[in-house]
Amino acid sequence: MTKTVKVKRKRWFAKDIFGLEVSFPGINPTPGQFFQVRTSDTLDPFLNRPISVASYERNRLLFIIKVVGRGTRLLSEKKKGDDLVVFGPLGKRLKLKKRKTLLIAGGIGVAPLYFLALKLHARKIDFTFLYGAKRPCDLIVKSSISRIAQKAIFVTERGSRRSMTAVSALRHIDTSMYEIGYTCGPKKMLVELQALNLQFPVYAFCEDFLGCGCGLCLGCAIKYEGMYKRICVDGPVFELGKIEFNV
Amino acid sequence: MFKISSLTFKNPVFIASGVFGFGLKYKRVANSVGAIFTKGITLEPRMGNPPPRIYETPSGVINWVGLENPGVEEFCKRFLPKLRNLRTRIFVNVAGFTVEEYERIVEKIGSRVDGFELNISCPNVEKGGAAFGQHPKIAASVVERVRKRTSLPLIAKLTPNFCDPLQIAKACIDAGVDAISLINTLYALVYDVQEKRPLITGGLSGPAIKPFALYCVHRVRDCGVPIVGMGGIITGQDAYEFLCAGASAVALGSALLRDPYAPVKIIRELKLLMGKG
Repeated sequence: MTKTVKVKRKRWFAKDIFGLEVSFPGINPTPGQFFQVRTSDTLDPFLNRPISVASYERNRLLFIIKVVGRGTRLLSEKKKGDDLVVFGPLGKRLKLKKRKTLLIAGGIGVAPLYFLALKLHARKIDFTFLYGAKRPCDLIVKSSISRIAQKAIFVTERGSRRSMTAVSALRHIDTSMYEIGYTCGPKKMLVELQALNLQFPVYAFCEDFLGCGCGLCLGCAIKYEGMYKRICVDGPVFELGKIEFNV
Repeated sequence: MFKISSLTFKNPVFIASGVFGFGLKYKRVANSVGAIFTKGITLEPRMGNPPPRIYETPSGVINWVGLENPGVEEFCKRFLPKLRNLRTRIFVNVAGFTVEEYERIVEKIGSRVDGFELNISCPNVEKGGAAFGQHPKIAASVVERVRKRTSLPLIAKLTPNFCDPLQIAKACIDAGVDAISLINTLYALVYDVQEKRPLITGGLSGPAIKPFALYCVHRVRDCGVPIVGMGGIITGQDAYEFLCAGASAVALGSALLRDPYAPVKIIRELKLLMGKG
């Protein structure tokens, strides 16, 4: 059911990345789940924006959002006390596995993986958090990640001594100890990561333009094991090796 | 109260084909509306088109889903028995690629539903679809042949793309349809200037097309059969405008992309407006 919630806190993490914290009692979202968020009371932009949960603590839901277009820009204008119309949580529930875990985030893909990191930490599951962004100032929630991860690796493509993406950094890391991986980031990164063919299963948190977000419109297709699946209800988490990207 | 053939409806708000699957996920919504048009059913299963399938445009949305559906066999086995438990009228949207396919789909489903909506207007497939609905003679031939295979109410879903829906409506009515639904989505394209090729071509829906949809409904209003008007209806006021313009009922499409519970709200708003009217 769509629900109108109040923005309790708004903060900027980077120049174009902000967080909206809303009060939403009585839910139990899992990493990867998302909400369809309305950007405007008018009919333009028309569709909701799928925003994944970045944390849920003490009935407070945090969305971490990057301004990429008109819809997210309108959301960035929300202030404390404003109403936000949301629908969710949507997407399949993810079951955490007690295995040595590697998280690989690229850009704003950090948002759902941050939530996953918080959950792994709460379950006392060891994990390494590898996080790449364009520039050092684009790396967000670094101190929280450093606090809860067994090992945190931050890399940037520009502005650091060794310019690297999360995927190129992987080539310098011994990955033999990991039993499971989770990743979220731009499609280009997922394609490169898939090509690395890591020796443990990696699960990708996928994103796309969504229509309804709840499985009705078949708009968010992803080719998986030769069939089209719906990102919104069959995912958004899929085994990376089985995705057929149309590049 | 209007009727389509001999069928009555609890209210004039329907759900258009393609935005509600088979209506089984949100049962409260399904049971609240007058009728549901199912996702388009083809003879064989269809995987649908590769992504991107959806793209937002000003006050609208382009879709290029391409009739993904399990095919009529699987539909009858897996979905039809459950659909029959819904407390609403069910019209199966029939999408053939040849005239014979329309006949076969209708025959396979038989009389287990309330009626059929003949999709002669899908813009997202290479053959069939809109190609049938743009020419009065071809549209009529589909209707005529299907009419012989079923006694259930038949609705023709029309396209306004590169044709006059009034001429098509007249031909379909002469061939035996009991109602007309219109409009299907409009041809649309988004161009990728970097790649120098279309990013997506498909069917445009949403509030952006409402004025044109209203025009089309108004144009066919005196055709002699009930009209199910659709195209960008988001509020009760929108629905009321369609009814005033000549529709007997309305169908909601893109509204459900924004809020799957929208029909409940629209029915409530429309009741208030009709009470006043």
